Amino acid sequence: MSSLPRWLARPLFYLLLGVYAWLLVLPLLSLLSASFRTEADLFTPGLLPPQPTLEAYREALAKHPILRYLLNSLVVSLAITLGVLLTSATLGYALARVRFAGQSLLFGFVVGLLLIPDEVTFLPRYLLVQELGWINSYWALIVPFLASPLGIFLMRQFIKSLPQDLFDAARIDGAGHLRTLWYVALPLAAPALGALGALSFLGAWNMYLWPLVVINQNEMKTAQIAIAQVQSVEVSSWNVVAAAAMLVLLPTLLAFLLAQRAFIRGIALGGLKG
Amino acid sequence: MINAKNSERNLQKSIPVRQAGRLGEGLEVALLLLPALLLLLVFTVWPTLNAFWLSFHRENLLGTERDWVGLSNYAEMLRDPAFWRAVGATFLFAAIVVPVQLVLGLLAALMVARPFPGVALFRTLFFLTTAVPTAVAAVAWGWYLHPIGGTLNRWLEAVGLPAQPWLTSPELALPTLAIVTAWAGVGFTAILLTAGLQQIPEDLYEAARMDGAGAWTQFWRITLPMLSPTLFLVALLTVLTSLTAFGQIHLLTRGGPMESTTVWIYRIYQDAFFNFRFSYAAAQSVALFLVLLLLAALQFRGLGRRVHYE
Repeated sequence: MSSLPRWLARPLFYLLLGVYAWLLVLPLLSLLSASFRTEADLFTPGLLPPQPTLEAYREALAKHPILRYLLNSLVVSLAITLGVLLTSATLGYALARVRFAGQSLLFGFVVGLLLIPDEVTFLPRYLLVQELGWINSYWALIVPFLASPLGIFLMRQFIKSLPQDLFDAARIDGAGHLRTLWYVALPLAAPALGALGALSFLGAWNMYLWPLVVINQNEMKTAQIAIAQVQSVEVSSWNVVAAAAMLVLLPTLLAFLLAQRAFIRGIALGGLKG
Repeated sequence: MINAKNSERNLQKSIPVRQAGRLGEGLEVALLLLPALLLLLVFTVWPTLNAFWLSFHRENLLGTERDWVGLSNYAEMLRDPAFWRAVGATFLFAAIVVPVQLVLGLLAALMVARPFPGVALFRTLFFLTTAVPTAVAAVAWGWYLHPIGGTLNRWLEAVGLPAQPWLTSPELALPTLAIVTAWAGVGFTAILLTAGLQQIPEDLYEAARMDGAGAWTQFWRITLPMLSPTLFLVALLTVLTSLTAFGQIHLLTRGGPMESTTVWIYRIYQDAFFNFRFSYAAAQSVALFLVLLLLAALQFRGLGRRVHYE
């Protein structure tokens, strides 16, 4: 663009940005627009709803336990995030700062687990969860995901990169491993923990295949699979489906807007989604 | 001097030894190791081994017992046209998702990598799809592509083109789903590529400008070569995620029409939970595992290198 005169290049650049952003966001805007329409207005042309109304939201909330679905998702995602942070910090610390027999072997083992995708383990894991009697419970949704090889790997790398002096000082002051982890390593690892937390939360909130197979009781469904449920009931009422989808989008959207930095760092760090 | 150095080193070495002798150290280490290890063993290692075990068995008609059948699940799989159709659909799907998502993501990243007034707003908009859950993305596109009310068909009609049966024709459904998937991944790709672009030293561009290189030359001679390790990594990650895409397919087409969108993972899901052939599904998932393992090994080498140099 250096060959263009500056007074032209600037506006052209913004035009390009605006058009691209608009095209990217358009499917979401269409959904937003549908959610503010009545069923009769659904096919009226134009992006703006002719008579904006909250009717679809009222109907979605009245006919479907959307808040319950959201609560399920929130409980599951928060529990998984906390669990992952805890197990990643403890094992990550042990692999980085404690000397014990078989340490490098254990690290190799964790790294090896990074290569095992959920899609391969979900069938036998389903049989296991069934055996445990966890079908249709929070246990099934939470416990299998409380430890993450990626989280452990990332925390180990991070804690290993902290200066050794700090840990020596803690030792000399007589702090044990748990105190050192809590008072020395974790405060310094706050950015890494925030990024890992955002990544874990997003992954847990987005789970689809696993909740689909372990949950068939309506009130235990997570928000993601509940959308399929709403869609199959409201076949032609796209405004109600759209309202339900907007309600499911809202929490992650808010979280993303408020903690964008942590999300971006998490994604850049982990390079993995879900 | 040498003595002081030595004693310092000895001090460092001696501390853990002294600690190890202290009562409670063992308990502390156990507390650090055991929770994560137990969870990994029970919910990742055991199911992985069990996937192989299952794939060598077959359940009886009641589904109550499993008999050893050796490799016959695999033999059946290799002769099963439905399996090969699913494999073909999976690779066609990935072959569309990966280039589309990379190009769209790179375009976004190129525009917002360097600061300019308003960059924060456009970064938020370009990265936004990372915050959109798969199910919401699927519903949004389901409506966007609606045969009658959908915005896209409206536009086609406005310029005199016929409306398209995006998700209901066996030819169009899979490419359409691939576009939906690529759209949902744009934010993710843009974030990683923006980070990659920001690591390219500004000096290189300055030097190129001094030599009279235009924007086009700079892109091909500096940006693309310098970005290639990141691009490679992102491409592999995109291949991995597109080979296991499930939610959008389940919501938008249920594997149809005429099984045209029944990809590998969807086939596994159907064989296990609708045809009740768990061990046959397990064999297919082991096969998928081997493909993913190959790709993940490549990705891991990339990840290791990146972590190493940072």
